[in-house]
Amino acid sequence: MARMEEIPEPTREHVAALSCPELPGSPWVPARRLATSRIALLTSAALHPRAQPPFAAGSPEFRELSSALPSSDLIMSHISINFDRTGFQRDINVCYPVDRLRELADDGTIASVAPTNYSVMGSTDPLTMTATARVIADRLRQEEVDAVLLCPV
Amino acid sequence: MSALALLIEAQGIATVVVGLIRPHMERTKPPRGLWVPFPLGRPFGEAGSPAFQLRVLRYALSLLEREDGPVVLEDFPDDAPSMRDTPGWQPFLADGDRSAILPSSPEAWKNALGVELSRIAPAWEAARRRFGRTTTGASRLAPAEWITYAARFLVGELPDSPVDGMSPALVVRFGADDLKALYTEAIQAADPMPSPAQVDRWFWNQTLAADFLRALRLAAISADHPGFKTAGSRFLVPAPFVTRT
Repeated sequence: MARMEEIPEPTREHVAALSCPELPGSPWVPARRLATSRIALLTSAALHPRAQPPFAAGSPEFRELSSALPSSDLIMSHISINFDRTGFQRDINVCYPVDRLRELADDGTIASVAPTNYSVMGSTDPLTMTATARVIADRLRQEEVDAVLLCPV
Repeated sequence: MSALALLIEAQGIATVVVGLIRPHMERTKPPRGLWVPFPLGRPFGEAGSPAFQLRVLRYALSLLEREDGPVVLEDFPDDAPSMRDTPGWQPFLADGDRSAILPSSPEAWKNALGVELSRIAPAWEAARRRFGRTTTGASRLAPAEWITYAARFLVGELPDSPVDGMSPALVVRFGADDLKALYTEAIQAADPMPSPAQVDRWFWNQTLAADFLRALRLAAISADHPGFKTAGSRFLVPAPFVTRT
């Protein structure tokens, strides 16, 4: 249904018109074999611990999500009303697959799940997020993360 | 997310991005991308189906082992089955249960919504038990508190925020999310599960809560308060449902 022709108007027109930033270069970091990799998640669903204030619309901030945090402690404060939330209501893994990633660590597909995952507000202009990306990358390195899986809503 | 993947990869960390809008991925060119044909909001497709989610996750992570960069873009081959409407699904609360005449004062809205909420509440409790959690809570207000607060905007008031650190406009905005979540969690409490489209059509066309959000939207459009005008007019009611269909 995220085929463009299946997105209802006027969301389809809005999505089609969104500018896509042109970033210099084509970075490519060779990844380690999955079985030896520690993987982190980065979601743009504006998830955060229940006790924290909502994301501000357009904010380039990020929130840290401990991998050990129960899904009942996470809520979503994404500003958009134009995406399905019923799946998230049933099962957080439909947009933030932390339980599934843990299962892949348990069966040896990956080496481990990062202790910390990350959340941002998906409606924010990515051109304002260069510093955010730098800080997240630094923290990923500090926790010896080999690769990050980015998950939209 | 494709652009953020590029920014992080440029910092020396390998990335793979799951994407919902293929034209954006084609234009932005993240290093490794998996386009998935699922609705916005569901990048791993099927709620409550670990097997389906694992298929998507394994496919995405497998791109990390590709060596033919700097741009790898693949398509996930299968649709998510639960996107199709559930034949014969009937909501436990339907249009015929509600008065055709909308409340005309904040007090009347509060009372009428209180009646509807009392009918929703048992199913919502069942949903909490079934799913092990609720996604409500962003506004920090209980539904009845929020309705009492938000109804004041309908008569032109611009009341101070009752929540420390949150503007009145955001209290209205996130309280609307909480109210809708309460209803849509409740309607999913029992099998058979409705499709996302069935949930949307039910909520927006057959509940007084949706009528209340539409009334708030109209109040916001004509309000002098810029924050309320923006939040209320753009972020309360999806465009397909600004009128009951």
